[in-house]
This record gives sequence, C-alpha cells and structure tokens, in this order.
Amino acid sequence: MTSGRLAALSVLIALGAIAGYVSLLRVPLVRNHPEGYIVAFAVATALAALAVVRPRGRRWPAWLALSLSGLLLIGGAWFDFIIARVPVTSTVLRVGERPPDFRLADASGRPVTLSQYRGQKPVVLVFYRGYW
Amino acid sequence: MSAAEQAGLEIIAVSPDSNEQSQRLANGLRVSYRFVADRDLAVARSWGLVHPHGGPDGQDVPRPATIVLDREGIVRWFSITRNYQVRPDPADVLRAVRALQTSAAMVRDR
Repeated sequence: MTSGRLAALSVLIALGAIAGYVSLLRVPLVRNHPEGYIVAFAVATALAALAVVRPRGRRWPAWLALSLSGLLLIGGAWFDFIIARVPVTSTVLRVGERPPDFRLADASGRPVTLSQYRGQKPVVLVFYRGYW
Repeated sequence: MSAAEQAGLEIIAVSPDSNEQSQRLANGLRVSYRFVADRDLAVARSWGLVHPHGGPDGQDVPRPATIVLDREGIVRWFSITRNYQVRPDPADVLRAVRALQTSAAMVRDR
C-alpha cells in the first residue's frame, strides 16, 4: 500500500471509531467497552507511522494522519484511564441490608421516600452524575 | 421490560440536577422514572456515594450506581461503576428485578 493510502486508512479508522462510539453509545456492549476506541486509535497511529516510513510518495498526508491519530490516542487514553475513573469509597450498600431512608422532592415537588414503597413494590435506584 | 413489569416496579433516578433539568431529560428520553433532586448531595453523601471533585469544575458529584431493592427495602443487587463511561448492562438489572418479581408471584400463588 502506498504512503497516501495508508494515511487515508489511518484517518478513516480514527474518525470511524469516534463516529461508531458516539452513535452506538446506547448499546451496552459499545458503551461499556470504551477501551474499544483506544484500540482503534492505536491501530490508526500504527498505520500512520507505517505511512511515514514508506519510502515512496508524498509525506505530508502521513504526518497529518500521524498527528491526528496520535493526539486522539493520547487524549482518549487520558480520558478513559484518568478522567473517567471513579475512586472507590466506602458505601452503606450491602446485599441483604436495608440502606437508610431518604426524603427528596420529585419533579412535581412531591416528596419521595424509600419507606413509602415498603410492602408495595421493588425499587430500582439509579444515582447518576447529572448534567449540571 | 413489559408495561406490566414496569407497573410493578418503581425506578427512581437521583442526581444533583434541578427538577427542571431532570424534567427536560425525562421528556427527552421519554421515560417514566421518578426523578428526584439531591441538590446538595446529602443522600449521596450519607450513602457513601460521592466522587470528590469529580465534576468538570472540580465539584463533588455522585458515583454512578444502580441499586435493586426488594419490597422490604432490602438491597438485593447493586453495581457501582469504576469508570463513569461504563454502566451496568440493563440485562443484568432486569435479571435482578425479575428474580424479585418471580419470588413475589410464587408467594402469591401459595
């Protein structure tokens, strides 16, 4: 493969990984494996590096592809391994135990407590970070 | 999850968002969760579910967690993520919930 084609393939894989990850974020298999985009960025970086060392053809597309995929690889790894990590804390949650009750207002201002469901129905509680 | 299964279950979503923000989210996702506002993280804090300085501006945020409580309010299953991009597989949550609903049906049948 020529240097230019390798560079194009590298860019395609890098951008395709972003498009694929974003558009399939609701699929648990994709969402729960963020390392997938890192692997794709690593493959794209390797292809761009190959393109750079190819003896024939123009070099600038290869360098462009290498900077793009390299930056994505560093940025993606930094996000996945550092930014998105949640430190372990000691929680009150133990299977078989009852966590403390709470009282919070719902969207219509009505108070919601856990005890109000006692003897009524199971509850799935979802704590999420919020959108601020 | 079928409508009947959902009717026999309450899904409560807890976040520090204001109720207006949660309402927008609920409308956008078209879900029938009960969104409750834990504005100052008092509940998250008392449950030990706070990621200190985890927010984009260094503010404290909740640790994303999913907890299944049975009819008596006892924890039957829970999952707390170590990477906030990763959430429990809905199939696992559903399995935990169905296990409760089946055991309740067996009690009723007796």
